[in-house]
Amino acid sequence: MKTSGNVRLQQVVKRHGETTVLHGIDLEIEAGEFFVLLGPSGSGKTTTLRILAGLEEVSGGEVWFDGQNITHTDPGERDVAMVFQSYALYPHMTVEKNIGFPLKMIGASVTEIKRSVEDAAQRVGIKHLLERRPGQLSGGQQQRVALARAIVREPRLFLLDEPLSNLDAKLRLETRLELHQLQRDLGVTTVYVTHDQEEAMTLADRIAVFMDGRIVQVGTPREIFGQPAQISVAGFIGTPPMNLIPAVWHQQHVTVFGEKFEVNANSTEVREVTLGIRPTDLRLTTVGLTAQVRYIEDLGDYSILNLKVLGQSLKAKVQGLTALHEGDTVQLGFAPDAAHLFDRSTGLRLN
Amino acid sequence: MKKMTRLTLLYLAAGLLVSVWVFPVLWAFLTSFKTERDVLAYPPVFFFTPTFANYHEVLFGNASILPNLWSSLVVTCATVVLTLCIAVPAAYALARLRYPFKRASGFYILVTQMLPPVGLVIPYYLALQRLGWLDTYTGLIIIYLTFSLPFAIWLLVSYFEDIPFEMEEAALLDRAGRWGAFWHIVLPQVRGGIAVTTVFVFLNAWNEFMFAVLLGGNRVRPITVAMFNFISVEQTQWAKLAAGAMVAMAPVIVLGILAQRHIVKGLTVGAVKGGGRR
Repeated sequence: MKTSGNVRLQQVVKRHGETTVLHGIDLEIEAGEFFVLLGPSGSGKTTTLRILAGLEEVSGGEVWFDGQNITHTDPGERDVAMVFQSYALYPHMTVEKNIGFPLKMIGASVTEIKRSVEDAAQRVGIKHLLERRPGQLSGGQQQRVALARAIVREPRLFLLDEPLSNLDAKLRLETRLELHQLQRDLGVTTVYVTHDQEEAMTLADRIAVFMDGRIVQVGTPREIFGQPAQISVAGFIGTPPMNLIPAVWHQQHVTVFGEKFEVNANSTEVREVTLGIRPTDLRLTTVGLTAQVRYIEDLGDYSILNLKVLGQSLKAKVQGLTALHEGDTVQLGFAPDAAHLFDRSTGLRLN
Repeated sequence: MKKMTRLTLLYLAAGLLVSVWVFPVLWAFLTSFKTERDVLAYPPVFFFTPTFANYHEVLFGNASILPNLWSSLVVTCATVVLTLCIAVPAAYALARLRYPFKRASGFYILVTQMLPPVGLVIPYYLALQRLGWLDTYTGLIIIYLTFSLPFAIWLLVSYFEDIPFEMEEAALLDRAGRWGAFWHIVLPQVRGGIAVTTVFVFLNAWNEFMFAVLLGGNRVRPITVAMFNFISVEQTQWAKLAAGAMVAMAPVIVLGILAQRHIVKGLTVGAVKGGGRR
C-alpha cells in the first residue's frame, strides 16, 4: 500500500453568493483508497472534487494532502490528475500529443514522453490510436485517452468526475471493471464522483454519501447498504429503493397496519418510526400483512412485485419467475434483522 | 436522366449567380489590357490586341502607384497586427471572465459599429489636427483601429466562447498554467477565427477611401486615394484605373487564398462530447 496520497478535508464550506453549496465537509481519505463521492445531482459532490483539484476556491475550511495544507495551492502544483465528465480532450492535438501534454508541460525529454505515452496508452488499450485526433474516436476511446492522460505522469491523486456517464450501458460495465483493475494496479488514491449507486457499490473501498451539501454517511459499500444512517440514504441506495412504511415501535416489536412483527432492537417507550424494508427482504409467507399484487415486472432472473397494502405501495424482489398473477392476494413478512428503523421526525437511524 | 436535368439546372443557376459578381471584375480585367480608345469604343469590343501599357504606366510611369501600394500595405498591416494584438486578449476576457455588466459591455462594443462613419469625419479631423497627426501613418492607423477593434472583438468572442472552459481547467491540472493553457490549448483552436478576422480587417483597411482621402492625402496616400487621381474633371482614364484596380486587388486575393484553408478548418474543429458551454 502506498504511503502518499492521503487526503483530508476539514470543515470545507463553499458559497456561491447567497447560496451555500457545501456546509462544512469533513472527510479523510486513506492513501491508495478508491473513494467514491455518491449523491444526487446538486448535492455538492462535484464541487468537492473540484475543490480537491484546486479548480474551485473554498469559502472556508482547509484541504490537506499528505500532511501539507494545500487549501490555496494552484491546481498545477497539487500533483493531481483529473478525468472530466466531458473528457476535455484537446481537439487540435493527436491522441499522442494529448496524452503527452502533461509531461511536455513539466519539461520532460522527447524520448521520455514517447516512452511514457506508449506505456499509458498500452495500459488502457489505445496504443493503435496514437496518431488519431479526438474527433475521430468513439466515446469509449475518448474516455480511454482521458484516462491515459491522467495516469501518464503518475500523480498522487486521481480525480474522476462521472467518467462513465457518457458511455452506453454495456461499455460502462466493461470499463467499470477495467477502471477497478487499473486503480488496483497503480495503487493511486482515487476520488470518484457518481450519482449511480451501482457504480459506487462495485468500485468503492469506501463511499461518502452526499445530500444537500452535507456528507450524511461514510462507510464501506456493505455498511452503507446494510446500515443506512438516514432515511434519505436508505431511499437512495438499492434498486428498487427501500420500502419505507410508517410504524409504531415498542419493545421488540413494530406494528405495521395493525400487524405485529418482531425486530432485533428494543424500545422501552412507544415510538412513532419509519420502518425500512429492502424489497429483497420482503418475504411471501402464510401469515402477516395482506397485500394485493398490482403488477409484476419480470426481469428474467428476478421479478419485482408491485404491491399495495391499505393504500401504501410496496415493492418486493423475488428470485426467478413467480407463479403469482396481477390481482392476487399475498401475505408479507420479514426477518427481525431485516428491519431498518428510522426516527419519523429527524430521519435518523434508531437500530 | 431526371438527375441530369436537375444537375444542369443547378449549375445554370449557380453560374448565373456567380456571373453577377464576376462580371464587373472580369470587365475591369479586360479593360486593363485595352487602349483608352478601345475602352470607349461603342459597341464594346471583346476582341482586341491586348496591351501592357496601362500596367507599365501605372507601375513605373509618372503617376506610379507603387509608393501608394506601399502606403496601403503599411497602414493595413499595422492595423491588422495592432487589432489582433488587442482584440484577441480582449475577446478572450469577454468570453471567459465573469465580471459585472458583462452583457452590457458586449452591447457597447456593438453600439460603436452603429454610428455612420461620415458623422465621425469632423471630430476625427479635429482630434488628429490637435494631436498633429493629420496626414501621418500613426493618425490613419489609429482611426482605422477605432473601427476594426470593436468588430474584431465582437467576431472573436464567439470563437472563444465555443471552447469549453473544462478544456482550460484540464490544462491547468496538466501544469500548463494560465498562460500555457491560453497559448497551447485556446489559441490553436481559435486559429480559424483569427484568420477570418484578419481577412475582414485587412479588407476594410485596404479598401477604405473616405478617411484616407480626408485625414491623409499627401504624405500618406493609400492606393484607393491614388486611384482616384485617374478620375479628373476633364476625363476619366478608365484603362489605367482598371489596371490600378487589378494591382490593388492582388494582395487581397492572395490573402484570401492563403486564409481559405484556415477559415474552413476553423469551422470544422470541435471534438468534445457535449459541446461548448454557453
